[in-house]
Amino acid sequence: MVQTRKLKDGSRQVILNGKQYEAITKVLSELATKTKASAILFADMSGQLISQRGNTEDMNTTVLSALAASDFAATSEMAKLVGEEAKFKLLFHEGEKRNVYLSNVGDDFFLVVVFDVSVTLGLIRIYTKKAIEDLLAALEEEGEEGETTEKMIDDDFSSLLGDALDDNFK
Amino acid sequence: MFINWALQEINLKIVYYGPGMSGKTTNLEYIHSKLDPSLKGELVSLKTKEDRTIFFDFMQIEVGRIKGKKPKFNLYTVPGQVYYASSRKVILNGVDGIVFVADSQPHRMEANIETLLDLEENLKQEGHSLDNFPWVIQYNKRDLPGVEPVEVLQKRLNFFNVPHFEAVAVRGDGVFDTLKAVINLVVRHVQDQL
Repeated sequence: MVQTRKLKDGSRQVILNGKQYEAITKVLSELATKTKASAILFADMSGQLISQRGNTEDMNTTVLSALAASDFAATSEMAKLVGEEAKFKLLFHEGEKRNVYLSNVGDDFFLVVVFDVSVTLGLIRIYTKKAIEDLLAALEEEGEEGETTEKMIDDDFSSLLGDALDDNFK
Repeated sequence: MFINWALQEINLKIVYYGPGMSGKTTNLEYIHSKLDPSLKGELVSLKTKEDRTIFFDFMQIEVGRIKGKKPKFNLYTVPGQVYYASSRKVILNGVDGIVFVADSQPHRMEANIETLLDLEENLKQEGHSLDNFPWVIQYNKRDLPGVEPVEVLQKRLNFFNVPHFEAVAVRGDGVFDTLKAVINLVVRHVQDQL
């Protein structure tokens, strides 16, 4: 299970373990091959990019995932305002050369597929549907022992971070 | 907060909140202009023709590796104008820390208060509360004539006695101090929750 922890103050902490990350990346690679997509991004609903595949060198994928998350969030609010109870499950943006297909993966994550207009939407939909099932399964992978937040963020880390901020942010 | 064990990355989301034209975008623009290229991504600003933020500004920054781990900070601003209330709400999804940028001018006090109440309301929907969440207040535009004294701003806005900073964001005064404080606060807060 992907560790989605509720902390004492109610905030949500998402921890992705090594096995999950590997499994997710494998699914994205397969999807990229099958669809010949220009780029595939997997991100969480707060806009955080998790993994990507494809020709992403010319694309600012960090920004793209932040924008895509906002796209989902905005249309979700729009759905509420127009009286649609369910969230929109997918978003499709049609361009001249490239199309963008966005689909949610459970409630907490989403997939972005950027593809050439020569590829049919139907093809993307079929393969993406399968990929989403595989991704949901991947998120169920158990992690290794010892992959805990406590090990990531200790007092030492905090103090060294403080020093690094003082050195770089001035 | 998002932790990726495979890449040893810690990702935090920090949102700059405040009424229209208080200086949220200016803060990010200054940070972007001063940071070493190796530590910053592109600053993306979604604006109206009148140069007002319509949805958000976004920028990712980092400080390199610390004990083998890579902390990354996703900075967002919200649109300040009253009619963008729904847009502000969506930007708060997954927020880890907040910088409230207040406008020090007397005629903007009501807007500061209204936006602070709006923030409290939206945070509640995310399962947080201002009295138990890492945030700081920045009193911006301290250089303008006739601004409210800090004591007055403190009394009217800082009910929870969070760290506060005086700033002149267009010049960069107080901008990095504010950012460093909120980051340190977020990390300490995470540790306290464990």
